[in-house]
Amino acid sequence: MPARLSLNAISKHYGPESQQVTALNEVSLSLEEGEFLAIQGPSGSGKSTLLNICGLIDHPSSGDYHLNGIAVAQLNEQQRCTHRRQMIGFIFQRHQLIPAMTVYENIAYPLLLNNISAKNTRYEVEQILTTLDLMQRRKHLPRQLSGGERQRVGIARALIKRPQLVIADEPSASLDHQHTHTGLQLMRELNQAFGASFLIASHDPFVIDHCDRRISLLDGRMDDRA
Amino acid sequence: MNWPLIAIRNILRDGTRVISTLLIIATGLTALLLGSGFMLSTYDSLQEMGMRTEGHLIIIDDNPAPLRGGSHQQLTLDNWQAIQTSLWNDERVLRVLPRAHFEGLIVNSNNSAVFFASGVDPQEEFRVHGPFLRTTDVLDPWIDPSKNQDVVLGVQLARTLNAVTGDLLTLKIMGSDGEVNQIAVRLAGTYQNGTPEIDDHTLMVSLTTAARLLGTNNISQLSIYLNQSQNAPALQAELQKSLNNVSVQSWQQRSELYHKVKSLYDRIFGVMGLIILVVVFLAITNTVSLATYQRREEIATLSALGTRPVRIYTNFILEAFLIGITATILGMLFAYTASHAINLSELMMPPPPGKTEGYPIFIYISWPHYLLISLVLITVVIGASLLATYNTTKINIATALA
Ligand SMILES: Nc1ncnc2c1ncn2[C@@H]1O[C@H](COP(=O)(O)OP(=O)(O)O)[C@@H](O)[C@H]1O
Ligand SMILES: [Mg+2]
Repeated sequence: MPARLSLNAISKHYGPESQQVTALNEVSLSLEEGEFLAIQGPSGSGKSTLLNICGLIDHPSSGDYHLNGIAVAQLNEQQRCTHRRQMIGFIFQRHQLIPAMTVYENIAYPLLLNNISAKNTRYEVEQILTTLDLMQRRKHLPRQLSGGERQRVGIARALIKRPQLVIADEPSASLDHQHTHTGLQLMRELNQAFGASFLIASHDPFVIDHCDRRISLLDGRMDDRA
Repeated sequence: MNWPLIAIRNILRDGTRVISTLLIIATGLTALLLGSGFMLSTYDSLQEMGMRTEGHLIIIDDNPAPLRGGSHQQLTLDNWQAIQTSLWNDERVLRVLPRAHFEGLIVNSNNSAVFFASGVDPQEEFRVHGPFLRTTDVLDPWIDPSKNQDVVLGVQLARTLNAVTGDLLTLKIMGSDGEVNQIAVRLAGTYQNGTPEIDDHTLMVSLTTAARLLGTNNISQLSIYLNQSQNAPALQAELQKSLNNVSVQSWQQRSELYHKVKSLYDRIFGVMGLIILVVVFLAITNTVSLATYQRREEIATLSALGTRPVRIYTNFILEAFLIGITATILGMLFAYTASHAINLSELMMPPPPGKTEGYPIFIYISWPHYLLISLVLITVVIGASLLATYNTTKINIATALA
């Protein structure tokens, strides 16, 4: 059984050669099926860049990346899109809810993309709305929600389709302790029931403690002191 | 997922942009509808004038003798009474008017002028021209040629000669053998068409008077007026088949003015319409590009979630379509209201080429034509949106979300 993902000497450079910024410098790591991995590091250390590459929304400048044993470099844009749709759940740092969709529609959207029936969608969405304390909010638009509510909707949207890989960029930034706890619990359930793997960038000790393993980034390099 | 509803929410989210876009499209449509409505009514009145002046169909000799000078060369249709009588039996035919064209010199005690004359049926001739030939004070005896040899002059010709109704005038023509023929006529009235060629130089006498002066019963043409214009092509074909040695023409084949003015207006309105469409196209490209740029984060999110570019694209086009439809309805209402207001206000147009008088502006309102133009405009709006959103689905997701 291949690792959920394995990165080998992944680098990412930005800008022209003369004034190049190296966001990631030969990062190697692997994430097993069902593993929770926390990524720590100060701001600007390359956490988001790493998550974007793992989530197939950015390309590394060099290095190998295998997702479920598939060489990602071989995938074309359309295949990357399909993998994101079927395998990956994103929790974005700034929520990134679709402004014209209600809470219900935002959460149901990944199921729609994966052709889940309306009846099943309804059942799944209502269940997760209840768990995350959002039932009263289901007909609201994102701009009518608080920051914490938006983040919970973002978490629900990422988990609803039961992805094999969840990528979360500072998921607890706008959550109180209680909701962070509920969120983590949901993730753990998904993890135990379906073997989902988690890649979580966070500063929150509560979140980090919850993970199986942690790595640290500093200036785009793995920091072995952690 | 209820995409139209989501499109409507997106549209309502961006009020000022949407209102300015709506106004651009609606104004463009209003201009197109008013311009083309005016154009259609102009063409219609030009057609009306052409038909009333020439007749729906015109019969001439199919082989007029070559021009030699003198006036007899124009009088080549003989045996026309037989054709006229047979046409009277056709129920599609309203009137059959003989016309004999000739030219010469008109003289009174003060003055002389060159004239182009028509010998006509005095009873019927003035009934067919409608508003395109307005007569003033034409005396009754005009219609009884046996008693009087009357003449009716173009209004400017009468002024040139300083002649008033009742005056005696002399018409002189050059006969085919070179001698001068002349006849005394009494001025029975004037007519006015608004075209200098007609008002300044033409006159009419009865066919009997013309025959006496010309020494022949031949005429230049028979003008056929029908009950319904749409019967013209069929009758033209039938007559061309059944009659020998004549040519049967339609008024379009004879009316140079119609073709000249129509082609001029076609070009003016064509260029104007094109400019409006280009302006709308550019304005929409601009606003839609801006809007999609402002929404690149949303586009990147949809894409990160695994939405196909086509779906994202379709959503933007759906929004453009809904805005286009709304703007089109608005534009039609504007144009409809403005057309009625203009038609009621009796605004005047300046004289068209070759005319001395303007005419009232009339703007046609026809729904098929409204629909057709709206469809063209919506196509332009969607085309502009396609162009403006084409590149947005290819954005770098990570950069847009950073
Ligand atoms: N699109 C970009 N263009 C140029 N530099 C970038 C870009 N994205 C990130 N960087 C740089 O890469 C480094 C890592 O950024 P990021 O991955 O966002 O760090 P973190 O998420 O840990 O705060 C930073 O120095 C940042 O300025
Ligand atoms: Mg970051």
